[in-house]
Amino acid sequence: MAAMLAGKAVAAPLPSALPPYSAAYEPRTVDERGLWMQVDEAEKQLRASNLLIADPTLGAHVRRVLCRTVGEDRCGSVRLYLLELPGFNAAMMPNGAMLVHSGLLLRTRSEAELGAVLGHEFAHFELRHSLAGFARARSATDAIAWISVLGAASGANVGASVQLLAGAFFTFSRALEKQADLLGLQYLRASPYPAGAASEVWAHLLQEQAATALERKYKPNRGRAAGFFDSHPAPADRADYLRAAAGDDPGDAAVAGHRDGMAMVRLPLLMAQVKTGDFGGTAYLIDALAAQSGWTAELLFARAELYRQRGNPRDLATAAQLYADAIRAGPAPPEAHRGLGLALLRSGDAAGGRVALAEYLRLKPDAGDARLIASLVPEDKP
Amino acid sequence: MKFRSALLLFAVTAAPALANSLIPAQPVAGIARSSFAARPEGEWNRLSMRPGKRVETWTLDGPLLNSVRFFGGVLPGEPLLREADKKRAPLPKVQADMLITDVPALLENTYRAQQSVSRMEIEAQEPVRIGGAAAVRFAYRFVRHETDVERRGEAVGAIKGGKLYLVTFEAPALHFFEKDLPKFRQLVATLTF
Repeated sequence: MAAMLAGKAVAAPLPSALPPYSAAYEPRTVDERGLWMQVDEAEKQLRASNLLIADPTLGAHVRRVLCRTVGEDRCGSVRLYLLELPGFNAAMMPNGAMLVHSGLLLRTRSEAELGAVLGHEFAHFELRHSLAGFARARSATDAIAWISVLGAASGANVGASVQLLAGAFFTFSRALEKQADLLGLQYLRASPYPAGAASEVWAHLLQEQAATALERKYKPNRGRAAGFFDSHPAPADRADYLRAAAGDDPGDAAVAGHRDGMAMVRLPLLMAQVKTGDFGGTAYLIDALAAQSGWTAELLFARAELYRQRGNPRDLATAAQLYADAIRAGPAPPEAHRGLGLALLRSGDAAGGRVALAEYLRLKPDAGDARLIASLVPEDKP
Repeated sequence: MKFRSALLLFAVTAAPALANSLIPAQPVAGIARSSFAARPEGEWNRLSMRPGKRVETWTLDGPLLNSVRFFGGVLPGEPLLREADKKRAPLPKVQADMLITDVPALLENTYRAQQSVSRMEIEAQEPVRIGGAAAVRFAYRFVRHETDVERRGEAVGAIKGGKLYLVTFEAPALHFFEKDLPKFRQLVATLTF
């Protein structure tokens, strides 16, 4: 179905070199003007979204990576919207607004990997994929019904304002996705980043999904077969054809650059990820970050929270150890003392627990839970 | 003829009306099929739809505008809400050795795991006594990404006999939360379990 909706666009050959780019593109046909009018309205609502991450440093980091990937001439017109959504996702509106989910920022391990995904989204824009899909779909008698189904299956969920669009315009066919993948690869080849990063993204996603499945005791999807309703090619296939097409393209993936760019938001994003309750997948992500940076206080703390949250007796013992390691590695957030105290209390070490909680209160007397925590620490007797 | 069509109309409208019920302004016991009891000073509506085995929802103007949820004695090993996908997206469970500080986290993690909540902040948390038992009262705000509406919440929770008793009040941050919070607090002031 997806292929049928987009049949026209699929027939178009993929450009062999980067296509010439026209800045300040304006919609040209009736269809395209109509589409832009709707998404312009959606973009206005997006600007007021409660999920926007208003962090200028992070915004500048993501824009820099986009510009280094697709080139300064191309990136200028893109409006970037960073959204607090834990999934691995990004989306492009037909009018050049780009939506980046925080889950993507947490999962990409280098500027090159982030650039690979942003470049892929930008390729959809440059190839006017949404318009091709829209024009084709409009001519089909039952297009609306099908678009809704496909939209629901794509799982692209970016707020009410964009919900409609997620259904109607963001569902690119698998063939269009592959086109965008390959043009995205050409951006990478022309950029300082190595093109091999694109296939790495998908390989890592599969490993994470396997880690989630292992802990939850179900058989992981091997990522080979794209289902009838899948709007994207299967991840393993993407990893394969991207690896083959990347060839030999040396470059600096800029691991440290991405690590620094994420410095201010990594801990809150990790905490949001921990709270999703996906123990296996989250442990995999934390381990992957530690493999790059070593076990920092921040990562030890995140891992401790993950174990304390699962809360088996052995998990509480592990968590207490990890909190202590985090405090030793320093500088750990004051919440490391809170976690240590609560883990010890639940393990039956009341005295040790109270010492740690008292330290948390000393470091963060204005904490929102200060009075509650204080109720667990008996007052000093005069 | 007139009478018959009136009957027909009644038959059509009665079905949904029967589904929910009125809570009159008088003492109520057995809320959420548990030992929860309260003395509301005004009328509430009880929804027949139960989002979990031990959960009951009350509302004034509809659950999206103001909703009070009673979680009546959730046992260790049970989730707060019905699990949509036990295998692939399990919800956090009540744990027998849970501390009072774990109650707000349990609610937050449940919302993040199943209710498509990606932004949630637990604000002030303080120890209180509810119906003579040690409890926690906490405030929070959250956004469900499919509606993008900021909601505020206030809740009281306690662990008694290894079971979790929790009452939450949630409403849009704009207008409704402040408007109906006193009615929730009145309810909580008379709450026993």
